[in-house]
Formats: sequence, structure tokens, C-alpha cells
Amino acid sequence: MDCVYFNVNNGFIEGIIRGYRNGFLTANQYLNLTQCETLEDLKLQLSSTDYGNFLSNISSKTLTTSIITEAASVKLYNEFNYLTNQLSDKNDLKLVEYIKCSYMIDNVALMITGTIHNRDKSEILNRCHPLGWFDTLPTLSVATDLESLYDMVLIDTPLAPYFKDCFSNANDLDDLNIEIVRNKLYKAYLEDFTKFINEQLTEPSKEIMLDFLNFEADRRTINISLNSLQQQHNDEMAIDPDLKRELLPNVGKCYPIVTELLANANDFESVKVALDKVYEYKNILENNNLEDFFYEFEMQLCKDAFTQQFTISTLWAWLKSKEQEIRNITWIAECIAQNQRDKINNYISVY
Amino acid sequence: MADKRTLIAVIGDEDTTTGLLLAGIGQVSPSTNDKNFLVYQENKTSVEELEEKFDDFTIRRNDIAILLINQHIADMIRLKIDNFENPFPAILEIPSKDHPYDPSKDSVLKKVRKLFGEA
Amino acid sequence: MSGNREAVFPTRMTLGLMKTKLKGANQGHSLLKRKSEALTKRFRDITKRIDDAKQKMGRVMQTAAFSLAEVTYATGENIGYQVQESVSNARFKIRARQENVSGVYLPQFESYIDPEINDFKLTGLGRGGQQVQRAKEIYSKAVETLVELASLQTAFLILDDVIKVTNRRVNAIEHVIIPRTENTIAYINSELDELDREEFYRLKKVQEKKQRDTARLDEEMKLTRLENENELVLSTDDNAVQVPEEVPNLVQENEDDVIF
Repeated sequence: MDCVYFNVNNGFIEGIIRGYRNGFLTANQYLNLTQCETLEDLKLQLSSTDYGNFLSNISSKTLTTSIITEAASVKLYNEFNYLTNQLSDKNDLKLVEYIKCSYMIDNVALMITGTIHNRDKSEILNRCHPLGWFDTLPTLSVATDLESLYDMVLIDTPLAPYFKDCFSNANDLDDLNIEIVRNKLYKAYLEDFTKFINEQLTEPSKEIMLDFLNFEADRRTINISLNSLQQQHNDEMAIDPDLKRELLPNVGKCYPIVTELLANANDFESVKVALDKVYEYKNILENNNLEDFFYEFEMQLCKDAFTQQFTISTLWAWLKSKEQEIRNITWIAECIAQNQRDKINNYISVY
Repeated sequence: MADKRTLIAVIGDEDTTTGLLLAGIGQVSPSTNDKNFLVYQENKTSVEELEEKFDDFTIRRNDIAILLINQHIADMIRLKIDNFENPFPAILEIPSKDHPYDPSKDSVLKKVRKLFGEA
Repeated sequence: MSGNREAVFPTRMTLGLMKTKLKGANQGHSLLKRKSEALTKRFRDITKRIDDAKQKMGRVMQTAAFSLAEVTYATGENIGYQVQESVSNARFKIRARQENVSGVYLPQFESYIDPEINDFKLTGLGRGGQQVQRAKEIYSKAVETLVELASLQTAFLILDDVIKVTNRRVNAIEHVIIPRTENTIAYINSELDELDREEFYRLKKVQEKKQRDTARLDEEMKLTRLENENELVLSTDDNAVQVPEEVPNLVQENEDDVIF
């Protein structure tokens, strides 16, 4: 039934997203990009794609990879804002809110880090992710500990519920805590997001979004369990299984059995054994670049998502694909700028 | 005198500084909150700031053994660097991501070439 | 010539002094020359190594910058800010050691890593931790190269200075002190020779005069002797008549008495 009425509210948006989707760089275009000799060439090649002349007012002398990335990101944010402004359905707006939440978490972490070190507020605000912007973000810097941070600023943001779990042991803010807090927030966020999707969304959005979230959660789970291994040598600050349990999201394909195994794993082998129990992630540690695997996996999910009609989940798929595309462009630009041609083909293209 | 100098200081663009900090050279003095690195931001950091920081690292502080500076930034305060003759701290011009290394500009290599040109 | 010598009194003692001085200067010159050569050798070695190291640095830094690009790619965000803010204590430090090259102390930087300190424990925990780790390692290696280069460069600057000073000394000895001392010696020698010649001439003159005097004296003596002989002949003629039995010795002994 939902499909019947889908177009009433969202037909336009879906149309636009699919239009944008057709603007993704294709394998051929990537091939052209990798042939470029200089960033100037790259700019020229990009101007014949959907990016158009987004770099037109930048002279070739000042052209750097970071400028290209920035310009491409600005374009993405504008498109995203344009899309989300078209949404009218309550649940869809909520979904957008959830999508933005992950960026908010990063921004909050950034703000807190800056605050601890008494950095210039405006400077930090410049670095905040535009998609994670909320009105009270600038006032974050008044906070000196988590309690006051929560009471004064975060209570009005969608992040408020996630902070509940973070007060248990850390009242003073230091660098170590922030990374822990950030990951705790993510855990709470992912769990909450999943709950929302399960309860509020309808098929087929639900199914697709759950796939995405499961993947997102698993990626974090695997990354955290691997990266916390590195800390355990010669380190009194090692993350013990209890703490790890608080960081690993209780959703995803790994949950619950493998998550528990991962929390207790304290060497590479046991992580590997645990992961072998999940079909999707079997043997991923054989391959040396984990992130590449995840990106590839994510892109496949996104590509699959576009095969479904009548769903708003394409918004997520589009956003993630576009982010990957920007990463790809950055990567290619970086390879060109730094003359590392042998690695230029490490980008991930599925369209 | 050289014993006290244990630190490496950096004046560099964001990427260079980040990388060097990752290597672990960064130090923030607990009492004064002085950092031994300066992130240069295009069009934001003025030449005066650079010069002041340069003096700070080279003259005022005495715990710095080596000062690393991105070459394109060194170009902005070239006169100061060319005129700096103390062996301590050693000033080293390093390439940055966006500005490949140009040996013809390096203050020390200029001297090398001059010597070989004469020899 | 005479302008380029020391204002000394040309005596044999000064000559001795000057000769010692020249010997000292020559010895100093050869020593300094050897020092300068040793330093220059070292210097050339270092310049060559600096050149190499600078090229190497270009490559190393590029690889390092690239590893950072990989981090950015993996984490999907710029970690620069986070890293800058997490800094508190230096893990990578420098120790300066001194190396003695021909009496010149060259500093030698040595890097060491304090394994106790790790400011970026959790950077990239949720994402890209492996890349961050790798970037850390690559950058640590890069910094080692930089440190090595820095010691070379400092050695270069110090050696440059020392060599300049040494060469200036060598040149001063070679082109000023030695010629001057030699000139002085030559001057003293010529003055002494002059004196010698004068002395010789004087002596010759004296001798000449002496010879002349002696000759004259001889002449006179000869003359008197001759006269005496003649007289004797005459007197013996008389005496032969008067005292023919007289012993001749006695006659000769008392010749004068006999005469006057």
C-alpha cells in the first residue's frame, strides 16, 4: 500500500536522487581521471562530468587536492540540503535527522577537543562538518565537563539521549575520554537508529536501511576490536573487555555472539576466528586493506539500494556514494599531485 | 649546551604538521602551554606571525634542536633564514605535499652550490 | 723587497731567531694544511651526503604525505585537528652527541623514541586505525631521515666555518708570514755578508799594511846585516893580526861589544 502513495510526497525527491545517481562518475570517467597528468587536467576532466565547472574560479596555480575536495564537498552539501528541504513526511524528516546525527557526534567531539585546549572557537567551527551543524553548536565551548555540556547544550539536540550512558565514569574531559565518548555515542546512536527504523519505517525502506545500519555497526565493531588490539602492548591504558563491550554497538550482523567474542578477543588471531563466524566478513582479514573492503562493501550496498523503488533509503545510498566519490576524486588527485601513479587505481567505483 | 636541546619544532602546513605530530614530535609545555609547532594556514597566517614564531623557536627557546619548516613557507621569510647562521637549532627545509622540493631555493644547498661553484 | 720584512736589527742572533721562526711557520703551515685537507675531505663527503639526503628526503616526505592521504581516505575526514589537539608530550626526541674531526667538534643528532608516551592512542579507533598506525610508522621513519639530514647540515655549517678559518690561516702563513720571514732572513744574510765583506777587506788592508811593514823591516834588517858583515870582514882583518889565536865563538858573541 505504501508504494501506492509514495509518490504523493516523495516522487519528486526520488526523481531528483535518481537524477543525481545518474551523475555519479562511471568507470569510464574514472579511467579518464586516472589518465590525467596534472591537477589542471583533472579539473578539465571533471568539468565534463556532473561536477561541471565547480572549480572554475580557482586558478591553476592555487589548485590543490584539498581545494578540490572542499569544492566537491560543498557541492554535495548543497545538493543534500536541497533534497532534505523537499521532504515533508514526518518520518522522513526524522530519518534525515538521524543521518545528520552521526556528523553531529563528530562535531561535538571536535568541539570538546577544541574546548579542552582553549582553541579559538571560530576556528573550530570552521572545521565542523556542515551536515552535523546544529544551532547550539557554537555554545559547546562553554562546557568544561560532560555534565554541564549535557545540561547546557546537548539537551536540546537529538544527541541528548545518547549521552546518558556516557556519564558513568568520566566527568573530567581529556583526550582519551573523548575518543571513548565518541564511540559510546556512536554505539547509542546506531542502536537508536536501528530501533527507529524497525519501528517507524515501512518496507522496503526498512530492509534497505537495516542493511546499511548493520553494515555501519559491523564496520565499527570490527574496527574497534582491531584497533584496540594495538593499544594493548606496553600500555596500561589498554581497553579491557568491559570497556570494549560499552563501545561495540549491540546491533549488526556480528551481534550478539560475535560481538561478545570480539569484546573478549585480545589478539589478532582471536579476532580473526570470531569474524570467520560471520559469513559476510569471512576472510576479510586475509586481505590487507580492511578499509578498502568496507568501502567496497558499502558501495555494493548502495548500488543495490538503487535497484529498489519507492523508498527514501536511496537518500542514504546517494549520500554515501557521493562521499565515496569525493574520496575517490581526492585519492586520484592526491596520486596525481604526489606522483604515486602505481596506486592511483585504488579507488572504488561501482557505477 | 646541546644537551638541553631535545625537541624538533615544526612550522608547516596542516598535512605536514599532522604527519610529523603523528610521528610524535609534538610537545606542549605544561606550564606555559607553548607548542613546538605552528600550523600555517594559507592566507591566514601572516608573515609577521611566521617571523615571530621563527624567532621564538630559534632564539627564545633553547630546547629545540632542529626546526623543520616547509619550503614554501621558508620562502616567505627567506631573508631571515638566509641570515640565520647559528648552528643551533638546525634549520631544515622540507617539502610539503602541494609544493615539491626545489633544491635551488634551499639556503644550505645554495651554500653548497656556491662552494662547489668556486671549487 | 725591503718593505716586506720585519723591522729587526740584522744581527746573527736575530738571524737565529728568524730561522727558528721560519721553521716554526713551515711546520705550522704543513700541519694546518693537513688539518684543512682533512676537514675539506670530510666537508666534501658531507656535502655529497647532504645532496643525497636532500633528494632522499624529497622521496621520503612524499611517501609520508601519501600515507597521510591514505589516512584521510580511510577515516573519511581530516584528522589534522584531532591530532593537533591530542598532542601533549614529545615521543620523538633528539640527543646531541659530539664527534671530533681534526679537533673540530661536530654535533651529531640522534633520535630516540620514548615508548612510554603515546599521544594518539585512540585516534582512528572507530575507523582507519590501521592507516593511522601506518602513517605514524612512516612518519617516524621520515623524521629519522630528517634528523640525520639535520646533523649533516649542522656539521656542514660548522665545518664550513672552521675550514674558512683554517684556510685563512694557511694562506696567511703561506703568503704572508713565510715570505716575510724569508725576506727578513735574506735581508739579515745580505747585511751580514756585507759586513763580512767589509771585514774581509779591512783585514786584507791590514794584512797588506802589515806585509808592507814587515817587508820594509826585513829590508832594513837585511841592510844592517849586510853593513854589519862588511864591518865584520874589516874588523876580522884587523883582529887577525892582533889576536889571531882568539876563539871565534867568543868573537861572535861579543860582536857588538867589540864593535861599539
